[in-house]
Amino acid sequence: MTSSDPSVQAPHLTGCKSREQETFRCWWSPGSFQNLTEPGALQIQYWKKNDLTKEWKECPDYSSSVKNECFFNKNNTVIWIKYCVRLHSESQNKTYDTLCFELQDIVHPDPPVALNWTLLNISRSGLNYDIMASWEPPPSADVSVGWLTLVYEVQYRRRNSSHWKVLEHEFGTQQSIYGLQTGEAYEVRVHCAMRAFNHFGEFSDVIFVHVPEIPNKESTFPVTLVLIFGAVGVAILLMLIIFSQQQRLMVILLPPVPAPKIKGIDPALLKNGKLDELNFILSGAGMGALHSYPPDLYQDVPWVEFIELDADEPEPGEKDNQSSDSQRLLGHNNHHTNHGCFHGLSIPDDDSGRASSYDPELPDQETLMLMAALLSCQPNKVDTPSLDVLEVPCPGLQAPDLPPEGGERHLVQTQLGGPQSWVNMDFYAQVSDVTPTGGVVLSPGQQVGAPENTPTTKKDKKGKMEGGEEESEEEEERRTNKLKFQLLVVAPEAGGYTTESSGRQMSTPDPSSPGEVYHTFPPPSAESKPHQEAYLPATTLLGDYQSPYILPDSPPAQFLPPVSDYTVVQDVDFQHSLLLNPPSPQRSPTCSPQPPSKPLPVMPIGYLTPDLLGNLSP
Amino acid sequence: MHIMQSVVWAVLLWPCLVSLGVPLECKDEQGSIILCASISKEKLLDRVIQHAELIYRVSEESCTLFEEMFVPFPMRSQRNQAGYTCATKAFPIPGSKSEIQQISDKWLLHSVLILVQSWIEPLVYLQTTLDRYDDAPDTLLKKTKWVSEKLLSLEQGVVVLIRKMLDDDMLTTSYYEQGVAPYALQPEVLESVLRDYTLLSCFKKDAHKMETFLKLLKCRQTDKYSCFLH
Repeated sequence: MTSSDPSVQAPHLTGCKSREQETFRCWWSPGSFQNLTEPGALQIQYWKKNDLTKEWKECPDYSSSVKNECFFNKNNTVIWIKYCVRLHSESQNKTYDTLCFELQDIVHPDPPVALNWTLLNISRSGLNYDIMASWEPPPSADVSVGWLTLVYEVQYRRRNSSHWKVLEHEFGTQQSIYGLQTGEAYEVRVHCAMRAFNHFGEFSDVIFVHVPEIPNKESTFPVTLVLIFGAVGVAILLMLIIFSQQQRLMVILLPPVPAPKIKGIDPALLKNGKLDELNFILSGAGMGALHSYPPDLYQDVPWVEFIELDADEPEPGEKDNQSSDSQRLLGHNNHHTNHGCFHGLSIPDDDSGRASSYDPELPDQETLMLMAALLSCQPNKVDTPSLDVLEVPCPGLQAPDLPPEGGERHLVQTQLGGPQSWVNMDFYAQVSDVTPTGGVVLSPGQQVGAPENTPTTKKDKKGKMEGGEEESEEEEERRTNKLKFQLLVVAPEAGGYTTESSGRQMSTPDPSSPGEVYHTFPPPSAESKPHQEAYLPATTLLGDYQSPYILPDSPPAQFLPPVSDYTVVQDVDFQHSLLLNPPSPQRSPTCSPQPPSKPLPVMPIGYLTPDLLGNLSP
Repeated sequence: MHIMQSVVWAVLLWPCLVSLGVPLECKDEQGSIILCASISKEKLLDRVIQHAELIYRVSEESCTLFEEMFVPFPMRSQRNQAGYTCATKAFPIPGSKSEIQQISDKWLLHSVLILVQSWIEPLVYLQTTLDRYDDAPDTLLKKTKWVSEKLLSLEQGVVVLIRKMLDDDMLTTSYYEQGVAPYALQPEVLESVLRDYTLLSCFKKDAHKMETFLKLLKCRQTDKYSCFLH
């Protein structure tokens, strides 16, 4: 290749190939030199590495059939030994080209033979099928002896396509082809190479693969149509249902979460971390909107609230020092003497003012105990496994001493047996106010020094949970009277659906006292009661009113009207209002004061004795 | 590391490795090689052949990799030159197929063993030199490393095969001290790149020899007469 002129090309060797690693051939081209086109002007000379002499030898066999080919037969072919072949002009004594190689490097096998295909399977739809193509190694390659190890490559394409799809190299003599389409004509071909040398030989003859389509479409067509229409119809139906019942579905699927809200208080304050401000507001400092209901709305309150206490024994594993339930109930501990106000549920966290979420599925006994705890100011403990109790630091001398107690659950377990010494009973909620809608505003019970309360039975006010009213023996006849006035802790403007009716009925609680806990519901809202009941614990025991429990450690009791613990229901007037005694003068001054005096003809506070109850009529 | 390598190789060479399975070496507690009594001659031969095939394939890939990375184009494949000379062994190997087919079983096996043993050290040497290359591809290093390891297994397998087929109990180390001389001593190869390239090419060739010999041997196990014809 001395000349770079493309039109003039020097003689050169075009290549040497072996078909079976036993013989090989070399070809040359005389180029465009005119004087070298005669035969014999150029010679192929070769030389082997293991030759004893270093002389170039003439080509042993110039092919007669093919022009410019030199054939090396078996006797002249060695493997693993380097050959050098050169194109030499003897007359000019000039070598035009040289090529050195070893035999195993120039193997280009013959194409495989006997390419054939068999149908493997047809897909269910009848659109696709798989075939298995098989062939045999080229006869010239001595594969059986192991002289040659071949690797095959199958290619296929559609009849009219120009692009061959190449499958992976295959060591065996068959290859499966997947995913062919019926009705289409395909071409398949294969070629092979010596393994690891990757000089593929020529391709085999092309075979044609064709599988006719299966004419089954008519039978499946109506079925398909029916299925499609059915699916569309069902989908439309579902859409109709969804759109028509959108509201209900939304309610079912995505029950709204009530935002914390207290009427008159900025909801932002109810968020995390703003307790102080909230306390301040609720404690009466910023009381604008909370004390807004007129006193004359307390008519027509056909309610009675009473609470039955459970007579269960306390759990044996009580950590508290109290020896008996009644003692606990009566609160003979030192703690609660000073806690005039509510000792509510204690929650595990340290944020004592916050009402915790509340298990709505309280068993009956637990609800009672819950209420008892609410009413008492003692950190009584009752093992109620499922109850989270909110603890209220009772305002009082020892208010700061009332810790959540490490998040233990405190529930007073009331025991109605035993002497009903009401001296230390402070687990009653005193109804301090009545809302326009008929709800009762309760105040945390104080230590009752009121002997006039003795006739009252131990009825704790409690949120009406799940209908869980525990009865004491004394309350049996009340039961029979079927006067179910329910003291319901409500979340008045809580979530969307609970009590639209009753929620509206409810107004803000008595703002004056921080101990106002409860609102009662009039029984007419019984139909919404389940909602409320179910709903109540979802938010807090006290509904939205975290206020009563968000008592600062040193409550600003000075500006709060003292609230008596409870009053005895003396009578019920024609309007079904309860006439109560004036509140007992003995109360802790530190307790929440009584709400501003309202000329209440009816006392929404107090306890209903059974005999009094008998006077009531629904 | 070894696990990772095995995983890499399993992924790369899964068609062959699937059948490799249990390594060929059978060692007792003292570490000496004992007969793998549980494996048959045919199976052992198959495994040895698979080893040889794999080694050959990997050596070819390594050679190609090296050639593409480091060898300047004119020098590739030694087209125009007689080029390098692979180190000759102490015994001549016949070149033509007919002659090779007439080599006895014993000679075939011993040739394979000689070849394997002669390449153990040079491959280790090659690994160290390849590490000195700045931009040697990771795959190349891994392949050469893999090949060295497999070569050891192949040696053990062939030894066991010899013991089984020829009832020949000689130790492996009684043969060759030769083949230790690294190719760096060849006078005509000056550049380290060409030297390493030569090494890889020669190893490729010898791997092909091993594979061919073993396959010829296998043919004879099945059908003695047809293997000698041609």
